[in-house]
Amino acid sequence: MKNAGARWRSWVTNRRVDRARWALAIVLLLAAAVLPPVSLYLEGQGMIESARFEIVLGVTSLILALWAVSYNLMLGYAGMVSFAHAAYYGVGAYTVAILLQRYQISYFAALAAAPLVAATVGIITGFVALRAVRLYFSLLTLAISQLLYSVAEGWYSVTGGDNGINGIVTPDQLTDYPTLYYFVAAIVGVSLLLMFVLTRSPFGAALLAIRENRERARSVGINVKGYELAVYTIAALFAGVAGALFPLVQPSVVPGMLFWTENATPVVVTLLGGVGSFLGPGFGAFVFTGLNNSLSRDFPYQLDVLLGAIVLGVVLLVPGGFASVPGLVAQLRRRVVGEETPSIEAETKGEAIRMIDVARAVEAHAIQSEHIERGKVLLKLEGLSRSFGGLRAVDSVNLEIHEGDRHAIIGPNGAGKSTLFNLITGRMRPSTGRVWFDGRDITGRPAHVVAKAGIGRAFQITMIFPRLTVRQNLQYAMLAHRGRTVQPWGLADRIYRDEAIELLDAVGLGPHADLPAGQLSHGDQRAIELAISLALGSRMILLDEPTAGMSASETRHAMELVRRVATDRNLTLLFCEHDMSVVFGTARTVTVMHQGRILMQGTPEQIRSNPEVQAVYLGELDMDDEEAAPA
Amino acid sequence: MDPGKFLLFATGGLADAAYLFIVAAGLSLVFGALRVINMAHGSLYMIAAMVSVVVANRLGAGIGFLPALLGAVLVAAAIGAVIETTVLKRVYGHEHLVQLLATYAIALIIGGAARLIFGSNYRTTSTPIQGSLTILGYSYSLYALVMIAAAILIGLGMYGLLFRTRLGRNIRAAVSDPELLNASGVNVTLLYTAVFTVGAGLAGLGGAIVAPSQAVDPTIGDSVLVLAFAISVIGGLGSIIGSAVGALMVGEVISFGLINPTTNSFALAFVFIIMTLVLTVRPWGLFGRPEA
Repeated sequence: MKNAGARWRSWVTNRRVDRARWALAIVLLLAAAVLPPVSLYLEGQGMIESARFEIVLGVTSLILALWAVSYNLMLGYAGMVSFAHAAYYGVGAYTVAILLQRYQISYFAALAAAPLVAATVGIITGFVALRAVRLYFSLLTLAISQLLYSVAEGWYSVTGGDNGINGIVTPDQLTDYPTLYYFVAAIVGVSLLLMFVLTRSPFGAALLAIRENRERARSVGINVKGYELAVYTIAALFAGVAGALFPLVQPSVVPGMLFWTENATPVVVTLLGGVGSFLGPGFGAFVFTGLNNSLSRDFPYQLDVLLGAIVLGVVLLVPGGFASVPGLVAQLRRRVVGEETPSIEAETKGEAIRMIDVARAVEAHAIQSEHIERGKVLLKLEGLSRSFGGLRAVDSVNLEIHEGDRHAIIGPNGAGKSTLFNLITGRMRPSTGRVWFDGRDITGRPAHVVAKAGIGRAFQITMIFPRLTVRQNLQYAMLAHRGRTVQPWGLADRIYRDEAIELLDAVGLGPHADLPAGQLSHGDQRAIELAISLALGSRMILLDEPTAGMSASETRHAMELVRRVATDRNLTLLFCEHDMSVVFGTARTVTVMHQGRILMQGTPEQIRSNPEVQAVYLGELDMDDEEAAPA
Repeated sequence: MDPGKFLLFATGGLADAAYLFIVAAGLSLVFGALRVINMAHGSLYMIAAMVSVVVANRLGAGIGFLPALLGAVLVAAAIGAVIETTVLKRVYGHEHLVQLLATYAIALIIGGAARLIFGSNYRTTSTPIQGSLTILGYSYSLYALVMIAAAILIGLGMYGLLFRTRLGRNIRAAVSDPELLNASGVNVTLLYTAVFTVGAGLAGLGGAIVAPSQAVDPTIGDSVLVLAFAISVIGGLGSIIGSAVGALMVGEVISFGLINPTTNSFALAFVFIIMTLVLTVRPWGLFGRPEA
């Protein structure tokens, strides 16, 4: 188990960092609000040459801030690296330029149209880009970026080809510099506010869940591709707004704006400010514009080297970006000062609570196991098969699992247990056969649909959201499962909070609610898994080798927890396991699989005493068991 | 179309395919063995092209070509070795996101440094082999034909390296079964440095070979990088044969795209349409293998 003191300290630090961030944000916003009068005053005092120049720099920073924050919606919140974001910015700028120059439409109407055009291009190209994942997604965005660039450069009649569109006139209402500044500030402010609300909403929670663990996100009922496309389109929309504001400071729009290397700007600015915070990239925009302005005249190329060095430094050394500096400072200070924390009590308290619960659970189990009632059939497999090449991994399996049952599937390695589980949970499609759950045909349905129907998975170590807190793990899973993550407003962290805490108490994780899930011990992480399944309202939980890699005492605790929770909440369990003590200590029904087929089914006693099973399997399994036992 | 014109465009496509193949093969090799997409690959190409032009002009066109080529390749390979040991070593096994951003940062640094050293104006040098050949009424630059021949030789050389040497065997093992490689007692750290250095050297070779036939400036790497991506993605990242086929497709598409005014503005667009189609239908490319 990891040092509990470290967890406590990280929690305290997080609160301090939060406060420092809010303070920084307020200072920034105030500074941005007073920029024009202050510049004018300084000009009056002869301290700066031209207030206009400073104000235009401010406008540039604001536009850049909007562009970078929209980029960070993808990079920071959903973990997507796009090389096409400059293209949507360019589409926004081109839309305004074309509408203004060729159709003499007012700037304000064009400003309203640009984000819609950018979003339309974004949703179409995003749909294509999201056919692939991760690295290949990034490469596809690169291709799309160059495709849009080629169109901008080649479509002379509309875009003016490689000359672009020049001489765009600023509307009369905005020729006064402070007015221009506040106009842009208002548009950027509203856009940032909308995005801020979005990131804190249940919708934002779904994005974080995807960034943390795609597979898990899918299994709690999040339509991963759908959300990725949504955030991609939203990012394109706001890039379109930023692009539409661009002609206010630069009167020409050229195809080069869409070239893939232009993405350096949002990437650098985002990393400069920090991917981990909402306003970080906005802060980065002001730093970037300042650097750019002070260095680019005298040292244009040194600036490139410097920016590259900054990105490299951030990626290698400060993964959180500059906005995480308060956190780093706090960490450094702790290291120097060596603050004491009341960590050990919290740890032992948590342990104690769990021990009591377990003791109670064992009693309850002893009482309840007296009268076993077989409920109705909950899961029914009919002639289920799946082949890989010539190999039939699962071969015409017929199986009925009753409500409230604790059903174990055993068999040697390669018997088809894992494939069978994957067929049930929708991670694989069966070659033939049907899967019925509670009278509903769920054959071949995608994993998130199966999860929603009420089949949960638990006890796979990778299946949590490591950087979210334990409580958020549950809350976000509930939001997803109950279809709330489509909601782009409201505070995700406040929804289902009490319910999550109650569930955490039930599995003995209450004291750890505010720690990042990834910091917990293996056993506790599996308990989070179980709690997530409960949070999803799963009626049936699939456990794939639940105790693999656990020590003997961890195994005992984990299985007691599972038995107790299953009994308390009338859950149906289906699990496969090598450890025979776990199988016979937990299961009410046992199915033996061999070479993809079902060999036999019965009570643990029937299986144990069946000479055929004993001869063929238990002998072999016992040996496995002994080999695995010391782990 | 008359056969003479057809041959002219086909040969033009081959000449483009030649240097693009060399660059893309380096990118693909690095990805195959190291699982890292090197966003700085185009920058290495550019640096080598700049170095070779400067050295060739200093020594005198013609005689200067071979020393310039050699010097440029060595510079690119040396920078590659430095990048691998100082940066990439720290990001192996990280998310793709970190690797993309780290190598992208290197591309920014090299680009800025190149402008500092060479300035941002374009430079030219004359081709080491002058003269032209007339076939079916159209004239062909001899140097373009030499480039095609060189690419074929380099392709065969790479095949020899990969399938006839110990290093090649280890590289192939790194591509197909990294765990086995670890178990077999090969110095993986050194192997990775070697692979990346060879990859960087290939980027440099492509740059140095193409330099005499076009104007070079510190931005030429940006468009070549995207083409190299397109090629290795179409052919399959990690596959040398894939790079050859991808380079042929891309070279010919661009060349024939330029054939008439209606398509010539969109010649490059066709390449990215093909890349998009391949990535959506078969993300691992024509000759690649799906990632586990």
